[in-house]
Amino acid sequence: MKRTYEEINAKIQRGDAVVMTAEEAIQLAESKGIEKAAREVDVVTTGTFGAMCSSGAFINFGHAEPPIRMSRVWLNNVPAYAGVAAVDAYIGATEACEVDGKTYGGAHVIEDLVRGEAVHLRATAPGTDCYPRKDIDTYISLKTVNQAYLYNPRNAYQNYGVATNSSEKALFTYMGKLLPHYGNITYSSAGQLSPLLKDPHLRTIGIGTRIFLGGGIGYVAWEGTQYKTTPAERNGVPVGSARSLAVIGDLRGMSPEFLQALSFTGYGISLGVGIGVPIPILDEDLMRTAVIRDDQIYAPVLDYAIQSRTRKPIAEVSYAQLKSGTIELFGKRVKTSSLSSYYKARIIAQRLKDMIMENEFTLTQPVQPLPAERTVKPLDVCSKEDVL
Amino acid sequence: MSKKKVNLYFPPEKVNEPITYHLVKDYGLLFNILRAVVEEKGGRLLIEVEGRPAQISEGLAYIRSRGVEVKELNEYVDKDLSRCTNCGMCVSICPADAIEMDRETWEVIFHQSKCIACGLCVSSCPPQAMKLKI
Repeated sequence: MKRTYEEINAKIQRGDAVVMTAEEAIQLAESKGIEKAAREVDVVTTGTFGAMCSSGAFINFGHAEPPIRMSRVWLNNVPAYAGVAAVDAYIGATEACEVDGKTYGGAHVIEDLVRGEAVHLRATAPGTDCYPRKDIDTYISLKTVNQAYLYNPRNAYQNYGVATNSSEKALFTYMGKLLPHYGNITYSSAGQLSPLLKDPHLRTIGIGTRIFLGGGIGYVAWEGTQYKTTPAERNGVPVGSARSLAVIGDLRGMSPEFLQALSFTGYGISLGVGIGVPIPILDEDLMRTAVIRDDQIYAPVLDYAIQSRTRKPIAEVSYAQLKSGTIELFGKRVKTSSLSSYYKARIIAQRLKDMIMENEFTLTQPVQPLPAERTVKPLDVCSKEDVL
Repeated sequence: MSKKKVNLYFPPEKVNEPITYHLVKDYGLLFNILRAVVEEKGGRLLIEVEGRPAQISEGLAYIRSRGVEVKELNEYVDKDLSRCTNCGMCVSICPADAIEMDRETWEVIFHQSKCIACGLCVSSCPPQAMKLKI
């Protein structure tokens, strides 16, 4: 069985493409077998909604009269990076508000913009012959700015480590609150619905791939930062964080339902991002990976009490075990919590399926594949000579 | 038998007096201390009392007569459905098993009746959907 992107898109345009969410495809493959399922289904949709810190938005504010070359910019008192051209800035999701940095940050600015709210803009500048103005204090919204688009350097991680805490005190981490003495376990992947686990070697996901992003349409822009292909595999999928995506998409058209500010007590601000990727079933192998189940996907359990990049996994658990609600660790039943919303992941996979079936979304062949091999490098303190 | 959660507010001058033991001794009530705090403005005791409805109201009336403010606690935490993402972070944090994940719909279910008003879910909720009512 072979299928091309062109054939699938022609079927989408005719309105007779067979599209299923990964959960539906799993059921079909279980009842009819992979071969039959591959012949029947053209596209399998995936979804994930989780905290993705490496996110942010580029905004062009338009020129003031007289013009200003902004050197420092604040949006609702959250500093934005302005070291680009005159009225361009990048608002990072984790940047804290200078007034109330514990519960408000860049992610909230992005959510407020998407919500259609007014955002307070303040900027200062040295003043130059071509940009004489030295400060501005005004309001902006998605209606007033020229461009406002997400550019997230690392999203949709392919699998992720599971967190627990062996120490005597509670730890406040980006994996949530970890109770002392292995008091709980937190994880952050949609497992069997998660995009990059359903095409684990990224045969169909590459630069230019059109995706569901934050409720609107986005594209894969590049390999995500810290992209790596080296983790060991089990059942054909990496155990632990491996590949990731840099994604881009217009904030206009996105929705606060799928782009939501989060704050983690004791850690800081993050952005909840909803992403869905369609997997074209070009052959049987793609169906085989698209229907991999929670009980076949494993993740390493890491002890966050060890504050080192080299902490070794203390166990390997499947997403079926994690989603059961408890895990046995050192002879004790430990409760699990997810940071990724499976509820929203399901909605995203379904929404993407509906968009494809209604011919609002066609598939794209990657312009360029993402790296087949990539290792991740550490940062060490070294001399000038050491790095050359 | 019925159960009721109440907050007892002790003015500073009452903090040193043994008062709540009368609930057991004179009114035959069982109680479980869920939270006890002593601050400048006095003391606060959150207890769950168990007994016949008449005994409970008589016992609490006695406590009130001793100058302790009694406030029944029905709902302590409010879940803002428009912000809850149903991630489930709060599920493993809740010491009272008051929060559970529905494994069919993957929605987080909050059982107000089991809540012991510890507030741990409030500080651990990433989208800030859980809010204190008092």
